[in-house]
Amino acid sequence: MSGLEFLPSFMQYAWYWPWLVLASLPPLLVLLYFLKLKRRPLEVPSTFLWHRTIEDLHVNAIWQRLRQSLLLFLQLLFFALVMLALFGPGFKGRESISERIILLIDTSASMSATDLGATRLDEAKRQAEEIINAMDDNEREAVAMIVSFSDSARVEQTFTKNKNVLRKSLREIMPTTHTSSLDEALRAAAGLANPGRTGSASEGDVAPANPEPATMYVFSDGGFRSIPDFKQGTLTTKYVKIGDDAADNIAISGFSTERNPENGKMQAFARVENYGPKEVTTDISLFVNGEFRDAKRAELPARGTNPGAAGVEFDLHEEDDGVLRLEVDYKDQLPLDNTAYAVLSTARPARILAATDGHFPALNWALTTEEAQKISQTEFVKPSYLDEKKYQDDAASGLYDLIIYDRCAPQAPPQANTLFLGIVPPQAFPGWPAGEPQNSPQVIDIDKVHPLTQLVDFNNVRVVRTLVVHKPKGGLELIEADVGPLYAIGPRQSFEDAVLGFSFMSKNEAGEEEANTDWPRRKSFPVFVMNAVKYLGGTGGHGGMASVQPGNTYAIRTVLPVEMVTVKPPNGQPIEVRREGQNVINFSQTDETGVYEVREGSGTKLGQQFAVNMFDARESDLKPAADLRIGHDQIEAVAKQGNQAARKELWKWILLLGLGIVLFEWYIYNRRVYL
Amino acid sequence: MSTTSLPLLSPQLLAQLERLELVTRKIFRGRMKGERRSRRKGQSVEFADFRNYVPGDDLRFIDWNLFARLDRLFLKLFLEEEDLHFYCLIDASRSMSFGEPSKLQFAKQLAAALGFIGLCRADRVKLEALGSSRTQPGPALRGRGSMWRMLEYLDKIEPDGSTSLVDGIKDFALCNSGKGIVVLLSDLMDKQGYESALRFLLAREMDIYVIHILAPEEIDPEVQGDLKLVDCEDGDIAEITVSRPLMERYKRTLAAFIESAREFCTRRGMSYLMSSTATPVDQIVSGYLRRKGLVR
Repeated sequence: MSGLEFLPSFMQYAWYWPWLVLASLPPLLVLLYFLKLKRRPLEVPSTFLWHRTIEDLHVNAIWQRLRQSLLLFLQLLFFALVMLALFGPGFKGRESISERIILLIDTSASMSATDLGATRLDEAKRQAEEIINAMDDNEREAVAMIVSFSDSARVEQTFTKNKNVLRKSLREIMPTTHTSSLDEALRAAAGLANPGRTGSASEGDVAPANPEPATMYVFSDGGFRSIPDFKQGTLTTKYVKIGDDAADNIAISGFSTERNPENGKMQAFARVENYGPKEVTTDISLFVNGEFRDAKRAELPARGTNPGAAGVEFDLHEEDDGVLRLEVDYKDQLPLDNTAYAVLSTARPARILAATDGHFPALNWALTTEEAQKISQTEFVKPSYLDEKKYQDDAASGLYDLIIYDRCAPQAPPQANTLFLGIVPPQAFPGWPAGEPQNSPQVIDIDKVHPLTQLVDFNNVRVVRTLVVHKPKGGLELIEADVGPLYAIGPRQSFEDAVLGFSFMSKNEAGEEEANTDWPRRKSFPVFVMNAVKYLGGTGGHGGMASVQPGNTYAIRTVLPVEMVTVKPPNGQPIEVRREGQNVINFSQTDETGVYEVREGSGTKLGQQFAVNMFDARESDLKPAADLRIGHDQIEAVAKQGNQAARKELWKWILLLGLGIVLFEWYIYNRRVYL
Repeated sequence: MSTTSLPLLSPQLLAQLERLELVTRKIFRGRMKGERRSRRKGQSVEFADFRNYVPGDDLRFIDWNLFARLDRLFLKLFLEEEDLHFYCLIDASRSMSFGEPSKLQFAKQLAAALGFIGLCRADRVKLEALGSSRTQPGPALRGRGSMWRMLEYLDKIEPDGSTSLVDGIKDFALCNSGKGIVVLLSDLMDKQGYESALRFLLAREMDIYVIHILAPEEIDPEVQGDLKLVDCEDGDIAEITVSRPLMERYKRTLAAFIESAREFCTRRGMSYLMSSTATPVDQIVSGYLRRKGLVR
């Protein structure tokens, strides 16, 4: 400090002092430029030839001057860059990522919402790409993998350092109409981050590979269940919330057709829900085979705890047959759930075979009522028919939709749904334990939800003798009594077997037939029979076809046992589907919403149609989840993609540029004879 | 000069040179009888022709035998044998002192070799450094015995920057009227140009040989860096920064310079020979010059 004492005091601490020194450098350079280069003298015999050699240069004198000024310019530029570098310029960048990362991208239907300008999926891809860009090239550990998930997970790209490959894989991710489930994606990611352990009693646990810590970014709007049984292990999960909390969406959450029992007319019912923050009044239009049929106005309250909902109902004409399309005339941010489809078709009558000895005419009457005949054709045979070859061929070929065995049983399970009355299926039907006979059961409970026991009132029904029916694995007990279940249903391949423990008639000790129950005299009996015909007959009974969600499997039942059906998606090429040993053909490519047309065999005749609709409250609810629950951890959403904003220094690059300029200047200086 | 200590002519070279003689494509009139035939008829033992007598002819050459037979007077003509004037001009400018051995030393060696050939054949040999015609004219020599005088004179020649090529040759041309062979040993590096200098020789109708001497340092200069080239003769300065393109350009200039000199000489009936000081003298004399027809 003492060395500066001769300076005026204001200059001693002047901030601009270093800059003045720096700023004086360029003029100094220009000054230096006017000084001649110090050359080494060398005596030569004659400068005669040398003069002639450099004479040509003088011809290009103007270029010489230009070159000189170019050199000066380059040198000044170099100094300017050095000064700029000393300023320490930088920009607000992100810290580079030098760890293993897993990018989980939600591709479910809700990610197609446009509340962020582009779709949520585009936003997720953009943010994921930012993370890929931020990966540190020099770090060996900086690898990434990409997994997309909707109802199933798909590894789009395994671990790699190659950013181009990652970006390409990322761009190729397409939105789906499926529901979302994080479960499978988490397991795929964890499988790579925490390899499973194997072990034996003697050696203890053996880890096949060292678990490597990884950071998992979940880009999602959180429309999925919590995952209670997942251990993160070395995974660090970061939830990047994609979506706007105030997103607006009106969704059709249900659409079906039903015959009005009072007048026999078909009706279409729809439930419309409002997930937006404000009340909405909207028109809902119904189209039949593409032609406008009717419109209703619905007032949808704003979303509270639950979405505001309203139901609409349309009367259909008797001749209506075909595709119903329901549209909400409201522009919201997820158009996918604003349209619903239903297929109305004159149902193919169910083919029913009833093997009964005929001692109980009430069953015959119930199966041949006017209503029942609309939806079914019933063939009555004696139990002895079951031993005939014709029966065996027909049953194996899937000719019948439902076979009713009244106190008799077949040798082999038929390719059809079955209803056993007063008998438990024999051992050929796997999973059904033998029934124990009981007397006078008191009915305790009836499953009122299941279609087989819907509207069946059993309170005033008395039963003398019954078998206790224990459900097989995967089955359901429909009627329970004090002695045990009386009515149960169980799955068999793609069919279902329903077993009622008691019959309507029984033989007394004398071998005479006598009534076993007073049920046929109750109103609930024909209801029970109709339920069985509708449900087990497979027609639904009301002329409306079931709807499936995108990505789910639809079981196509064919009229004839054809080898192959052709399914035409709403917008796409027909797909050929082959049968796999049953008369049910499973079709799983239900990626689009809309109506799918099924043609049997190679024929061109439209066999049947089915609708694929979203109908998923989680997907329609666009409000993104505030946090994720994985195992016992609650993961809060991070604002952006999680990595820290950091200052990025530029001085290195500027100095490098300066070095390049100096090299260029040196080159020009050496090649000056060409200039 | 360090080169003066070296003998100009080695015994082996002398033995080689003894067998050669200077040749000229032109026939000149010598002042004295020499060892070579002349086109001129004169007095010798070799008969050439007859011609009619005209009054005034020397009666001693009348063929009296013919007069007796034909009754007419005829004069016998004999072939004249005459000497050859051989001039050797050595450029002794400062620029000639460069090179190892110096160009001047090389020129002296060459001059000595050619001069010795001439002396052996009793030609009139005159060696001269350019610019010394007025102040210190070279001796006119004849006969083998004069070899030592010739070498002595050559030894005395020192590089001198006082006279330009043009002035030197002009002086020579003015002081020496005889015709004969002129060999110019020079590097032709004169800023006033060598063309006007050579024209003086042309005017004398001499048989002119130009031996252009260049040092290897000039043909392929090994210089580096930023240089201020100083001309040793006039102190002229050329500033260069050595770079590969510059060197290429220099070589192109040199090649053009040599080519223009060759063309200038060839067009005017002069013989031109470019020689590097790296080439041995005996090789030049018995090789190049023999092919050029200066010696045989």
